Amino acid sequence: MKDILSKAVDVAVQRFGAGYVEIRAQKLFETMLTVKEERVEAASQGIENGVALRVLVNGAWGFASVGTLSVETLMNAVSYACKMAKAASLRLKEPIKLVETNAVEDKVLVRPRKDPSKISIEDKLNTTSTMSRTILGYDNHIKSCTVDYLDLIGTTYFMNNEGTYVEQDKLYVWSRILATAKEAGIFSFSLEEIGSIAGYEIFSTETPEIVGKRVAKRAVEQLKAKPPKGGTFPAVLGPNVVGVLVHEAFGHLAEADLTLSGSILSDKLGKRIASDVVAFCDDGTVEGAFGSFKYDDEGVPAQKTVLVNDGIVVGLMHNRDTAQKFNAKPTGNARAENFRFEPVIRMRNTFMEPKDYSFEELVEDIRFGYYLKTVRGGQANLNGTFQVGIQEASEIVNGEVGAPVRNASISGSTLETLLKVDAVGKDFALWPGRCGKGQTAFISDGGPHIRVGEVLVGGSA
Amino acid sequence: MAVALDQEEMLRFGEKAVNLAVKKGAGEAEAFVYQGVTTTVIIERGQIARSSRIIDRGLGIRAIVNKAIGFSYTNILESEGAIEETVLKALGLAGASKPDKDWHSLPTKKPFASVESTYDDNIVELNSEDLVKVASAMLDAAEKTDKRVFPIEGGAGTSYLSMAIANSNYIEGFDHGTVVECSLATIAQEGGEVTPVCFEFNVERKYKVNPARVGNEAARLAVSALKAKKMKTKNTSVIFTQFALQQLLYYTLINAVKADYMQRNQSAFKDKIGEKVASEKVTIYDDGVLNGGLRTWKFDGEGVPQQKTLIIENGILRNFIYDNYTAKKEGKESTGNASRAGYLSTPIVEATNFHFTPGNKTPEELLGEVDEGLLVYFLQGAASSNPASGEFSVVANPAWKIESGKIAHATKSAMLAGNIFQVLTNISGLANNERKVGQLVAPWVLVENVKVIGK
Repeated sequence: MKDILSKAVDVAVQRFGAGYVEIRAQKLFETMLTVKEERVEAASQGIENGVALRVLVNGAWGFASVGTLSVETLMNAVSYACKMAKAASLRLKEPIKLVETNAVEDKVLVRPRKDPSKISIEDKLNTTSTMSRTILGYDNHIKSCTVDYLDLIGTTYFMNNEGTYVEQDKLYVWSRILATAKEAGIFSFSLEEIGSIAGYEIFSTETPEIVGKRVAKRAVEQLKAKPPKGGTFPAVLGPNVVGVLVHEAFGHLAEADLTLSGSILSDKLGKRIASDVVAFCDDGTVEGAFGSFKYDDEGVPAQKTVLVNDGIVVGLMHNRDTAQKFNAKPTGNARAENFRFEPVIRMRNTFMEPKDYSFEELVEDIRFGYYLKTVRGGQANLNGTFQVGIQEASEIVNGEVGAPVRNASISGSTLETLLKVDAVGKDFALWPGRCGKGQTAFISDGGPHIRVGEVLVGGSA
Repeated sequence: MAVALDQEEMLRFGEKAVNLAVKKGAGEAEAFVYQGVTTTVIIERGQIARSSRIIDRGLGIRAIVNKAIGFSYTNILESEGAIEETVLKALGLAGASKPDKDWHSLPTKKPFASVESTYDDNIVELNSEDLVKVASAMLDAAEKTDKRVFPIEGGAGTSYLSMAIANSNYIEGFDHGTVVECSLATIAQEGGEVTPVCFEFNVERKYKVNPARVGNEAARLAVSALKAKKMKTKNTSVIFTQFALQQLLYYTLINAVKADYMQRNQSAFKDKIGEKVASEKVTIYDDGVLNGGLRTWKFDGEGVPQQKTLIIENGILRNFIYDNYTAKKEGKESTGNASRAGYLSTPIVEATNFHFTPGNKTPEELLGEVDEGLLVYFLQGAASSNPASGEFSVVANPAWKIESGKIAHATKSAMLAGNIFQVLTNISGLANNERKVGQLVAPWVLVENVKVIGK
């Protein structure tokens, strides 16, 4: 593999005058299962080989992606990438430059205790079917359940013309479990994702029975819940909600490409954007976390990046292009889903650091508000408007958690809301998930429980 | 742009895989061969800075053994061994899987639909230099409109897509098509205020895009989103543009009319055929043969002819959409709504062109009917809607306040909360400005009595 890649790199530099060239190759094997109620809808496996080639010619990027590893096709791709770059450079105002990095040569191996490629398909079907059976058998209000399972294993290869060559094993095990329940015209649903980069052993702790019961229980409990009042209220946010809030309402704005695009953080480096109990990190090195890896897709080592400390913005997430523009160090945030995509700045494991409050202390001073426990998605805008959908919530009445509430969501301005975080809990949890930014990345996010003085709650009551 | 595989090659791969699967013991087999060639010129922060070309092709095979289904795919087509290995994997998976008592059979051969305006040689012949010109025209138009506008991202691109299907019931088909697209996302900045991202695009199957109009409009929207004010909480009239409507319906109504959702008790429309589910002003077709439709093809992901299916007629629910499996489960015929993610997945039920029959008012006339209300361009958070109940709680961003039939000012972070099925019932008017946004083809839609949560 190294020889083929090396040849393509040479051709790009010598024949086409590329100032920078990188090649990513992959050999990946994927297994997917979908179980809907008792029915195995699709047991599926696939092999994908592919190469992505990115060059800088005259200061503009050219990119070519082909689904084969043959030398002839690769040489064609080199020629295309360079042609594409030349075309793009026709109207270039500001040539792209990359921050310098140290060349590395490395081979990263994964050593799972339970290698998913060694687990039989029958075993995987048994895991997913057991989850499904547990959910359906939990309560007669459960109407449907869908269990998706995915594992992905293989090797990626990275080479650039600056001497970096990295072979890196990939391993992901992921499952999404969705249950719906119905009673007297009320529909509820419950959704959860579990994921691991360690191996199939995730199902030894998150057994199908434990996960199934948890998901089913949540769907059924929501049938008894009432819609929230719309308006501004104090709230306690659980780690799952804090994670999505940090990721959506702040994280995306601190991806340096979006910061440069005019996100509200563009003039906030070194300035206060949150109360002084707030600290955020994006960390690619958390042992075993779903968003961790050793090298990003520009060959840069992943690291822990502090984004906010004591309420002050102290860092952004970079690729080599934006790091150059900000005169910063690269942070190892450039990620590509696979050979079809160019690497872009993505989050890894993004979280709020815990402090010192217990859950009881967070809740006790609230006369009326909401405890927002788990999420179902969220979305942010460059102007700092965020929305986080809530799956599971309760009222807080006179300092105690009260009646359950369904279909809430919270929204607001990131800067206003973060300044209103007035207490941070001492617990901590990370949740695996996937993030979309034109392509999918496996990530995790989380934090402790926190209290927000007021937040806009969208509700229909 | 050079095409990697031609029609004969694709058909041959499909036929070979099916024959091999049957020979190796499949009761039934189906192969789907897909190829996509996409060329894009990308705008990034006010300049054209990159260009890409992606060739993706591969083969997926579904093998059925004793009513159990296995699926496998590969993108290694140059090797005989890889295709055989893929066939064997599909068979192995079927063997390991459980029989599905509702499985009947793969579809049988029917004449494919005839479709128009889905392919254009002019698009195939565009190269990256041509696309740089398209992107430049868009960028220039945006920059000329107003100095406060910053084009953050966008681009121009073409795709050539081709697919071949073969199954053991003698279905064999090939179709190809083209898409050309240009889009621009902008923000406007003034005195510390940043607008939400504003967006305009133009996507067509034939080469007739208007990049200057896209650039102008993206810039005009961003400028008009400045000086946003907060709203008061109240129930009010809302006009949803096609973007907002698409976001809202994608997770709710469109799922509710899918046969698999209905059969699995996940649709609020179960047992409601013939009942009133929307305002009488609403008539919707799922039109898989719409002239120039973004999802118009001769056949669906299972080789069933695409067709035009009446979904809601003057507010009355008439039909669900089906693939082969869900249809045969009820003893019905597939409506040609099996959709696939290229060669990578088995078919699922999906809408084609979800077409709201437009009204006869101009957008200005529709605005004129609103004494006080909101014009909503985009929604944030529509994905968190409850797909079964239709309940949603989203942010309207950007959106504009309507006063006395005219746009008064941009609004800041107003939330909308309610139920999509109530929204359908409360539709009081449709404009005549229909356009294609994703799978939706619709005009602006006026809805009464929507809860807006402000400050």
